[in-house]
Amino acid sequence: MLTEFGKVLVFIILAAAFVVIALFVARLIRPARPTKEKFTIYECGENPEGTPWVKFNIRFYVVALIFLIFDVEIVLLFPWALTYQDYGIYGFLVGIIFLLILGLGMAYEWRKGDLEWEKPSPKPPNLAKILEKSKRNIPVEVPD
Amino acid sequence: MNLELIIFIVLALTGAISAVGMITRPNPVISALFLIFNFFALAGLYLLLNAQFISIVQIIVYAGAIMVLFLFVIMLLRTGEEPKLFSEKKHIKYFAIVIAVLVFVQLGYLIFYEAPSEYISQRVQQSMEAGTIENIGQQLYTTYMIPFEAAGFLLLAATIGALVLAKKNFE
Amino acid sequence: MNSIPIEYYLILSAFMFTVGVTGVLIRRNAIVIFMCVELMLNSANLTMVAFSSYLGQSAGQIFVFFVMTVAAAEAAVGLAIIIAIFRNKLTVNIDEINIFKW
Repeated sequence: MLTEFGKVLVFIILAAAFVVIALFVARLIRPARPTKEKFTIYECGENPEGTPWVKFNIRFYVVALIFLIFDVEIVLLFPWALTYQDYGIYGFLVGIIFLLILGLGMAYEWRKGDLEWEKPSPKPPNLAKILEKSKRNIPVEVPD
Repeated sequence: MNLELIIFIVLALTGAISAVGMITRPNPVISALFLIFNFFALAGLYLLLNAQFISIVQIIVYAGAIMVLFLFVIMLLRTGEEPKLFSEKKHIKYFAIVIAVLVFVQLGYLIFYEAPSEYISQRVQQSMEAGTIENIGQQLYTTYMIPFEAAGFLLLAATIGALVLAKKNFE
Repeated sequence: MNSIPIEYYLILSAFMFTVGVTGVLIRRNAIVIFMCVELMLNSANLTMVAFSSYLGQSAGQIFVFFVMTVAAAEAAVGLAIIIAIFRNKLTVNIDEINIFKW
């Protein structure tokens, strides 16, 4: 006997199966004539240089880490939001203590500057220097 | 052969095949994608077991956050493929197979020896109530209050520890 | 009343656990080994949810929450350790990481 959630599950599985079957049938009936050109990476007409498997910056790991911790925190707090009023001040305090503990972690990240996204600061062109160069007929390199 | 059994078989096959695919693909990115597939199959199984909140949490936490972290680290370290799946030491391979067979036989023997289905059958109504968010919240904030706060400390320690380890003079 | 005996879930869980153990033993990539550990944690979760559902009690599901918290913390710290090791040794192959040997 399926429950109501089981019926939803049947729909999800059927939807996933539909996509898989459609892609599989398309793979069976479409022509496949692979050439070397087709396998190169499309770079707006340029020849690709290097490998697409570039190294990510360590900042991405830090951001993903902070996201993971707060994700778990939200999941643990979600039942609290629904039930804390049943227990009065006691139930409220349980969640607040939890939030304070995780707030310490947040404060640490903030203090250490892990929440900042350091952008490389673009230098404004130094106008005085350019003028001086142009006076002495030195070819001007205007920074873009 | 009813509908529930068919769904179980589909999900169990998905989970089992993707688990095997995970440990047999040489590319770690493909391994990670197989593992995400496995997590989705498990989420479906949890839904079949009437644990609706766990099912959603499985997708949010495991497939949505933990695997993203794994993929970022794979991209960060750019480890590439393992040329040989098995270790160069030959005996580790046989050792692994023996251990795997032993573990599986032991677990299977326990399961069939105990035969829990003789005295446990699914209580649909009770399990529906047990899996709701309200019920989990009531248990979590009364009976399991201390473990809950301890989980908070664990997350705090994980945040600070991981940041200290990962950020220390990189490059 | 219910058609699926609980053994089916337990056998699936045992199979996934065994696959995880095999993966830990045969793979050489430290990140993949961590993924195998996650797989083993998940198979344990499946057992707990199955018993929780068949007994009609929510204790098993609450432990699944804690296991998920531990898994998240473990993934965060473990991957940070792998990054730290990679910085020194430039590899994640555990056959080459032998700094504890002398």
